[in-house]
Amino acid sequence: MNMLSLVTFAPLAGALIILCIPKEKEKAIQAVAFLFAGISLIASLAMLPGFSRGTHEMQFVERFAWIPSFGVQYFMGVDGLSYPLVLLTTFMSVIALVGSLGIEKRVKEYFFWFLVLEVGMLGVFCALDLILFYVFWELTLVPMYFLIGVWGGPRKEFAAIKFFLYTLTGSVFMLLAILALYFASTGPAHTFDMLELAKMTGGWDRHFQILVFLGLYFGMAIKVPAFPFHTWLPLAHVEAPTAISVILAAVLLKMGVYGLLRISYSLAPLGFQWFLPALIVIAVINIVYGALCAMAQTDMKKMVAYSSVNHMGYCLLGIAGMTTAGFTGAVFQMLTHGIITGALFLLVGVIYDRAHTRDISAFGGLAVKLPVYAALMSLTCFASLGLPGLAGFIGEFLCFLGAFQAWKLAATISVLGIIATAAFFLRMMQKVFLGKFNEKWADLPDMTARELISIVPLAALTVLFGVYPKWPLDLMNVTLTHMLGK
Amino acid sequence: MIEHAYLIPLIPLAASALMHFGAKEDPHSPAPWIGVVAMAICLGMSLSILSAVASGSVAVPYEHNWPWFSFAASIGGKSFIYDMPVGVLIDGPAAVLLVVVTLVSLMVQIYSIAYMHDDTRYMRYFGFVSFFTASMLGLVVSSNLLVGFMSWELMGLASYLLIGFWFEKDGPTEAQKKAFMTTKLGDSGLYVALLFLFAKVGSFQLTQIHHFYDKGYMPAAAAAAIAIGLLFGAMGKSAQFPLFIWLPDAMEGPTPGSALIHAATMVAAGIFLVSRTYFCFLAAPQVMHAAAWIGCATAFLAAAMALVSYDIKRVLAFSTVSQLGFMMCALGVGGYTAGLFHLTTHAFFKALLFLGAGSVIHSVHTNDLRLMGGLSKKMIVSFFTILAAIAAISGIPFTSGYYSKDMILANIWHSGDRPLFFIMLFTALMTAFYMSRLFILAFWGEARDHEKHHHAHESPFLMTGPLVLLAFLALTSGFMLDRHGLVYKLLPKPTISVMPGEVAREHAPPATLVSATMPAEGGEHAAAPSEAKAEEHAPAHEAAAEHGEHHEGHLPHALHLALPFLVLGSIGFAFFLYKGPDYAAAESLKATFAPVFTVLDRRWYLDDAFDLLVVFCDKVAALAFWIDANVVDRVFVDGWGLLMRIVSEISNLIDALFVDRTVDGFGGLSLDLGVGLRGLVKDGQVQEYLMYVAIAFSLAATLILTR
Amino acid sequence: MNAPLTLAHYMTVAGLLFLIGVFGALTRRNIIGILMSIELMFNAANINLAAFDRFLHPEGVTGQALALFVMTVAAAEIVVGLALLLAIYRGTDTVYAEDFNLLRG
Repeated sequence: MNMLSLVTFAPLAGALIILCIPKEKEKAIQAVAFLFAGISLIASLAMLPGFSRGTHEMQFVERFAWIPSFGVQYFMGVDGLSYPLVLLTTFMSVIALVGSLGIEKRVKEYFFWFLVLEVGMLGVFCALDLILFYVFWELTLVPMYFLIGVWGGPRKEFAAIKFFLYTLTGSVFMLLAILALYFASTGPAHTFDMLELAKMTGGWDRHFQILVFLGLYFGMAIKVPAFPFHTWLPLAHVEAPTAISVILAAVLLKMGVYGLLRISYSLAPLGFQWFLPALIVIAVINIVYGALCAMAQTDMKKMVAYSSVNHMGYCLLGIAGMTTAGFTGAVFQMLTHGIITGALFLLVGVIYDRAHTRDISAFGGLAVKLPVYAALMSLTCFASLGLPGLAGFIGEFLCFLGAFQAWKLAATISVLGIIATAAFFLRMMQKVFLGKFNEKWADLPDMTARELISIVPLAALTVLFGVYPKWPLDLMNVTLTHMLGK
Repeated sequence: MIEHAYLIPLIPLAASALMHFGAKEDPHSPAPWIGVVAMAICLGMSLSILSAVASGSVAVPYEHNWPWFSFAASIGGKSFIYDMPVGVLIDGPAAVLLVVVTLVSLMVQIYSIAYMHDDTRYMRYFGFVSFFTASMLGLVVSSNLLVGFMSWELMGLASYLLIGFWFEKDGPTEAQKKAFMTTKLGDSGLYVALLFLFAKVGSFQLTQIHHFYDKGYMPAAAAAAIAIGLLFGAMGKSAQFPLFIWLPDAMEGPTPGSALIHAATMVAAGIFLVSRTYFCFLAAPQVMHAAAWIGCATAFLAAAMALVSYDIKRVLAFSTVSQLGFMMCALGVGGYTAGLFHLTTHAFFKALLFLGAGSVIHSVHTNDLRLMGGLSKKMIVSFFTILAAIAAISGIPFTSGYYSKDMILANIWHSGDRPLFFIMLFTALMTAFYMSRLFILAFWGEARDHEKHHHAHESPFLMTGPLVLLAFLALTSGFMLDRHGLVYKLLPKPTISVMPGEVAREHAPPATLVSATMPAEGGEHAAAPSEAKAEEHAPAHEAAAEHGEHHEGHLPHALHLALPFLVLGSIGFAFFLYKGPDYAAAESLKATFAPVFTVLDRRWYLDDAFDLLVVFCDKVAALAFWIDANVVDRVFVDGWGLLMRIVSEISNLIDALFVDRTVDGFGGLSLDLGVGLRGLVKDGQVQEYLMYVAIAFSLAATLILTR
Repeated sequence: MNAPLTLAHYMTVAGLLFLIGVFGALTRRNIIGILMSIELMFNAANINLAAFDRFLHPEGVTGQALALFVMTVAAAEIVVGLALLLAIYRGTDTVYAEDFNLLRG
């Protein structure tokens, strides 16, 4: 049974079925979306028992010739690096679907694009052939463009265009680098096979690798987003509908870091090493500067968006450490950031749906009126600022641990970012939930069942992974050790 | 019993969860007794552990670890899977602290049942208190610095929740944020220290780190950096200069909660952390010296502020800061036993003072000392118990504070740093002065506000009971612990046999302890080796304690005898200044030294400095965002777009000038032709079109065929 | 009279048929007639296909198969054509080609 194809393409089947449903039958459309995203989730979970934690080899491999004349293959497989991200994607997609139930405009198109987006995201994490990878990578762009541009906020068109053009620019350079790798590959024929290419890196000279790395990096860094290519993110987040913000933060940003680890690091190791000093500086800027920018925000969603810049900085920090602890931290941080920031966006969406404003200073004392909401929001904020016992801490700490061995000063400066993170989250909580109750919001209802269904699982995972991070870590340990062992 | 020590933090944690999620909010709910019972069980367990440790029936340190999670790490280029354990490490100090924390927390909870009875978030409060205690207990028992750090941070969260308990008001919300941020600032130092320790040692296990230090593997520079980081963390939590600003504000929370913060948890955590990682400090003598002076500055500055405050809780808060300064100073000069001894005795009398103050505030409904006076007649139990506490904190002979403070001063004396000694001695006298002042203003003489005095009444038994028990301990705990050198036995000073750098020349130490502490084949490094090590080390400690430290614990005879008289003199001076209803002597003194009083009243301008820092950070943040929106975005997005525009304009120009002309030519030609032809045909007739097609086709066919 | 039928014979018949078809298509006023003429042209092509197959590649059946395809396509085409015509007739009440000038530019 081709599990990975099932996981990846089940949403595509759903999307095609949705096309055949008349657009008035919104319930049926939603049901189909849930069914197929659910199939994808269940199938990805079903791989869990069969997934071996003791090997760094690719598992669940599927390989067919696709375009034989160019050596392009349909080559899918997962290891300890990608499998956790596949799980994250299928899981967060279902959560975001729950968050999408409030969509009333053009329901059919929305769910169609959503499922297509899921296919692209899953494909990116499963693909082991560079062209296949690139196809999936680009496949995420189009649905995202429409999802932001049609269902977004007041400046949606501008945000969608900016997102699309900017990330597309990055991918063009990435494509160039991929082609360069293809023509540099030796052996009986040129190949796009990542695993084969990784074995050939020894034969490529340093300058070539640096160029390839820069090309790849440009594509990845925009997705991450790494300073200074991050400015599309706050805009896209602010304008995107809630569920799409969730997907954007939880999965799309991870594609960049994943690409850095999977492609840049293994296919251009010398370029990667050459770039490390710059990467650490970028990481520190992302952390400190991202936190400072978040501190200056009055819009809750924009604040969370900048906090994403800060959190992805931890991932970069962990990667720049070039130690297993750092890599582990980066991957774990990707998971936890997906869960926590996903929850944060959902929670901001909850208050926006009720109050139609996200201005921090417009609220006050809401903890009296919405205790459940306040409790969940506080939990998520504390998780996001890295409170031990919650999931955010483990990833963040491992990133620091990995980076500190190589970059003592940079890691120490980055610790200041943690303080700034705490500062803006605490201020937000104080202004929104604490203090004198703002009578303007006297009739705000607390969370509905649908909102609880989407957020409580995330909160539960936040606590679970914070207290017992063993499960996700065991999935990735061997692979990451092997990656650095080479 | 000691093998079940892991339950001690877990029981209150479970109680907290039960109270948060299990019961509905109800001001008369019996659910708070869940917390009380849980804490009583913990106290029982702690007492049995302490007695076992004191009688020597269990070998200390006792350590037991369980696997928690694993992650891939690499030290010095060597990759390995690090198995992070979670475990308990009970030694003498931990056993003592367990009893102190559980006892004070139990007293606070019993007291709170009466104190908080009509609050709307009655249950929530008890949930927080249990959670708070659980995190402190977690720190105390943890064998692993990372787990300790997690408890440490959770304690920060608990203090945040408790200080901001009445969050509808602005004062508590500001105070809770300030507390969290200030301690977080300190925590960043601890964070870096942890990173550094792991980068060097490759482990978070206290025993393994101790072993690493013991063998002198830690380079001196790294040892200093780590000690600074740890000290910084302790300065935040234990409210040392200049990070003590959060503690006086923290009294915005419920008063019993303050008692908990000031006595058993939070501030005790910092001192305990320093003692727990004392070997890190022993390896960095300069940092220890700095710690001593930081402690000294803290003690003096805080005591000075306490001299002029009229808010009863604020005076107590300043006194806590000052006493913490004493402890830090003691630890800094090597008085490990003395510092922890004072932590213990201080916990009892400070909890008592806060609970007593709570009782007073509860009864007269004001914090202002000037509105009290003459309460001795109305509140007889509170009066006597607070008297006991004040005697203890002032160092009246044979009370607990007398023993511990005497030992601290003796340690400072023997460190040979005379300026330090005299400042601390003076601060000790200031302590006696401001505590007597508080006592006189609140209880002595005649009532100044008769209406408030009229309403004053003694508190119910649930509140006075804990007061009496704590008063007993405040009076006797010093004597009990000092007898037969028990305190030295329970709180033995750790040692390191080789100072950093000393070993380096003879045989090079490993760059890290990966090879030394990590068995190459993984696993099996938990309990067994450390217990074995403990046994061989324990007798050495005792021997050292018997001979080395005992004389350091005693002042020269003349000073020892003179000290009580100095304290009594200080108290007498306080009586002289504040006797009489309008304390005229004090007021005239205040008028004479007005600038000094202003500085003290403004709390050395440290809070203003902190506010400035906050404003500054906001400015920086605003600047960063401005740069983001106006520079980064412009350059890297709009700039990119502009570049593309320019390129496209140029190519457009080329296109228009050369390529397009040609195209235009062809296009124009065919257009003209089309227009001309259209004139020939009748519009819209399919057959006509077909005809033309046929003609054209035959023409083309003819052309091709005849070529 | 016993001269064998050659490829040229078939092509002549087909060519005549095709020309009749072209003529009809160009001159009939009735659209049904035009459609029928188009059928004639199809059949001319079919005859060619079968003949070429038989004479040039006697071992294969490709041409014949193709002829069958063309017949099918022609049937489909006539269905669509008649349907269109019907639709037009409903709208304009006429089946004469000169009355339609929807294509007027």
